[in-house]
Amino acid sequence: MLLLTLRRKRHMVDKPSDLVQGTLDMLILKTLALEPMHGYGIAVRLEQMSHGVFRVNAGSLFVAFQRLQRAGLIKGEWKPTENSRRAKYYSLTEQGRRRLNSETREWGRQVAAIARILEAS
Amino acid sequence: MSLLRNATSGLRSLLRKTQVDRELNEELNGFLEMAAEEKIKHGVSREDARRAVRLEQGNFEVTREVVRSATWESLVETCWQDLRFAIRMLRKSPGFTAVAVLTLALGIGANTAVFSLVNGVLLRPLPYLNPDRLTMVWEKSSDGSAENVGYATYLDWKSQNKSFEQLAIYSSWQPVLQVGEPEPLNGLRVTSNYFRTLGVHPEIGRDFLPEEDSPNTNKVVMLSHRLWQRKFSSDPNIAGKTIDLNATQYIVAGVLPASYQSLMSQDPRGGTVEIWRVLGYDISQPWACRTCHHLVAIGRLRDGVSITQATAEMDIVSAALTKAYPKEYDDVGVIVTPIRDQLLGPASGRLYILLGAVCLVLLVGCANLANLLLARAASRQREVAMRTALGATGGRVIRQLLVENCLLGLLGAAAGLFPACWMPKVLAIIGAGDLPRLDQIRLDWRVLLFTAGVALLTGVATGLAPAYRLSKTELRDCLQQGARGGNLASSRLRGLLIVSEVALSLTLLISAGLLLRSLSRLLVVSPGFDPANVLSMQTSVLGQRFNDNEVVRQYFAEAVERLRELPGVQSAAAASQIPLAGNMDRYGFHVEGKIHANPEEDPSAERYCITPGFLETMRIPLLRGRDVSPADAATTQQVLLISETTARRMWPGEDPIGKRVKLGALDKPWWTVVGVTGDVRHVGLDATPDMQMYVPHRQWPYPDGLMVFVIRAAGPPTAISTAAQQAIHSIDPAQPISRIVPLGDYVGLSVQGRRFALILIGAFASIALVLSIVGIYGVTAYTVSQRTREIGIRAALGAQRAELFGLLLRQGMLLVLCGVVAGVLASVAFTRFLASLLFDVQPTDPLTFACVVLLLVAAAAGACFFPARRAMRVDPLVALRHE
Repeated sequence: MLLLTLRRKRHMVDKPSDLVQGTLDMLILKTLALEPMHGYGIAVRLEQMSHGVFRVNAGSLFVAFQRLQRAGLIKGEWKPTENSRRAKYYSLTEQGRRRLNSETREWGRQVAAIARILEAS
Repeated sequence: MSLLRNATSGLRSLLRKTQVDRELNEELNGFLEMAAEEKIKHGVSREDARRAVRLEQGNFEVTREVVRSATWESLVETCWQDLRFAIRMLRKSPGFTAVAVLTLALGIGANTAVFSLVNGVLLRPLPYLNPDRLTMVWEKSSDGSAENVGYATYLDWKSQNKSFEQLAIYSSWQPVLQVGEPEPLNGLRVTSNYFRTLGVHPEIGRDFLPEEDSPNTNKVVMLSHRLWQRKFSSDPNIAGKTIDLNATQYIVAGVLPASYQSLMSQDPRGGTVEIWRVLGYDISQPWACRTCHHLVAIGRLRDGVSITQATAEMDIVSAALTKAYPKEYDDVGVIVTPIRDQLLGPASGRLYILLGAVCLVLLVGCANLANLLLARAASRQREVAMRTALGATGGRVIRQLLVENCLLGLLGAAAGLFPACWMPKVLAIIGAGDLPRLDQIRLDWRVLLFTAGVALLTGVATGLAPAYRLSKTELRDCLQQGARGGNLASSRLRGLLIVSEVALSLTLLISAGLLLRSLSRLLVVSPGFDPANVLSMQTSVLGQRFNDNEVVRQYFAEAVERLRELPGVQSAAAASQIPLAGNMDRYGFHVEGKIHANPEEDPSAERYCITPGFLETMRIPLLRGRDVSPADAATTQQVLLISETTARRMWPGEDPIGKRVKLGALDKPWWTVVGVTGDVRHVGLDATPDMQMYVPHRQWPYPDGLMVFVIRAAGPPTAISTAAQQAIHSIDPAQPISRIVPLGDYVGLSVQGRRFALILIGAFASIALVLSIVGIYGVTAYTVSQRTREIGIRAALGAQRAELFGLLLRQGMLLVLCGVVAGVLASVAFTRFLASLLFDVQPTDPLTFACVVLLLVAAAAGACFFPARRAMRVDPLVALRHE
């Protein structure tokens, strides 16, 4: 159901591998922490920030928007874009900001722990 | 919080579907446009850019579906689609729908009806506070059975036990209410803590006070809500007023709430209890003795005390009492039972049997429907194959089919609610015997929930096999060849369904057969008297003048005389109780020379206090000696008649005439046996007669004031009813007369419980039989239609018609016979649960089994015969062109 895939750069390995469950939500929250953005903007920003490692397709992205919106972490608002078309801009809610902070901390803890385990051998 | 937001936003997208869809479209479109523009900026042509985006992001429609189906409301939406599709499908085949709904309506309706009965009688909470803490408390008699308690014992129990928060006692009381027309009421005398024990508070007025519970201050009564409405036009100021009962003034303490139903008197012949009076006993009174077992005790257990603990403690109390008064108890021990068992226990067995039986009906219905669905599945394979080809997954197909079946189930349930609505009326017509709480039977949320549950379960259960079968449809085969259903696996499944249907119906039919045989056996049992043309009516003397015993004796002698003089009356008499009318009056029977060291261990006999002419009127045979006569007066030797069983038990091999006995207490004069009568069935036609004795009303030291007149008429007994009442009122118009009932009705009432079970189980068995016959017919007919081609070929190749006919008949009957074998085995295993309802018939009565099997096989043969005959008439040419 979740079409979350993580693709490494084409010239490296062509096989997609699953993104860790729930990471996409955190990444979207992080992207929106700077400024409100529309869907395409978020996709582009994710790709840029990860230096092209994450290429999320529209399906997964919009499912995530729906989920985050219903959880009250982000909210959407229709606004004109710079190219004078209309787009839905998503922004973090106060609750979303808190969630991002806690998830970032938790993520750091987990990564450190995993790293320790992997380095132990 | 977020759950709420999820729900509201889901609802929004359900209700404002177009707007939400438009927004999603616009957003997605914008996304793709922007992606394309990005590419165009890098110098790619518009066309190429769009293609590239599509390649990267996948199909626009698919993406939209993915986003949409990620929410819960999309599930609701597809279910709604399924439902609408199901309605369309059912409307397209009205014949199938009608048959299926009717089948389910029969099965579910019968279940709902019986469940509403079970619910009303057993499941609804008892109208007391924490009813699971309430118990009955009995003395244990020497044969281990429960026995009523004497007042002195009760006082000791009450003061010495630590297990019970409250301990109360009651006894029955039949006062005559003198408000308007004098009316005898069914009442109880209770200790002042009775209602506190039950946890019931008066709606108006106050509870009984402890100081009112003594001999001189006990003229206080509590009214039932109905009595208050009926006789006192709901007077809100009734509390504290005085009313006349039995020519005495009583003060009304209060009125109980309407929700309170008295369950203490469940005699169908007695009616509900409507009035309560303070018991007001005193230890000095002669009837307060330890051996005066006429009081029933109830107790409320303290928190945390179990019934076992309470019994153990009471046993110790009882042991101490037995030690202190060795001649007043016949055994050590106390029996404590939950009040629920006492009130509902006897009914529960019978009701659960009914519930079991009705479940079998539903199973037969389900099997039938499953068969129907299987046949339909064969013709729907193409449709399903098409949907699968268009991308529906197996789960989706199954869901669609199950929604269809659940819809059928719910339609059936809706139709099946009607019988449940009629249940109270049906019960009133056929008579439910002594089932308690029949007024509680109605469609409440429990019944509706049960019905809905059964409907959905039925829908899923019947649909699962066919749906699974369909979802596994081999796509290519179907689309290429066109539907040619009827593969081996599904025909085997159909066979299995028929076998189980036959087995289930047979079990039900055998049960009904056994009950029928029991009832017919019971109805030929002689009650020991001749009830035909005898009218009974009860009276109870009313007025201060009856405090004189001689006045009572004179009054009844005169009343009987006046009744005898009526035209059309052959004979008349009066008695303190009559057989089969639900009375219970026993006296200790102490035979001279055979009195136990502890007289409490002596047996007791049913006591009929009679006026001369009772035996003649009832046509109870006098076997030896003489009848009582008007000459047996207060001044002459005290005489009594005994029944055959009494004679046999007390004087085996001896002539009882002239023997002497003491009745009740030992300090009273002797009674001499002057005659032996035939036994009568006192408790019920199905109960072995116990010891009985007849004492002359004119000789009994305290002549009974509550008497039943029996009047033998030349014709129908009801014809003399008015004249008989006038005759009594010609002596004293104030005397109340009640329960004017032909004796034949009492005989009918005593078998009503069995008749009720027979009618219901008989009805269920008939439904099951019809359903399975329809099922067998349907399957045979279906097989014939599926094999028309084969039959045609066989006929064309020269097969004899008789052979073809035999072939089809044999196949059908083989299934039936398998079912019969399974059914007989199941019946042997299950009919023993019916044992309590059977009379003089073994649960495995071979004759019943044989008759029922014959009936079923004959009916099934008929069901196979017609389709097979049709097959025989098939024209080979037509058959070959069939497809």
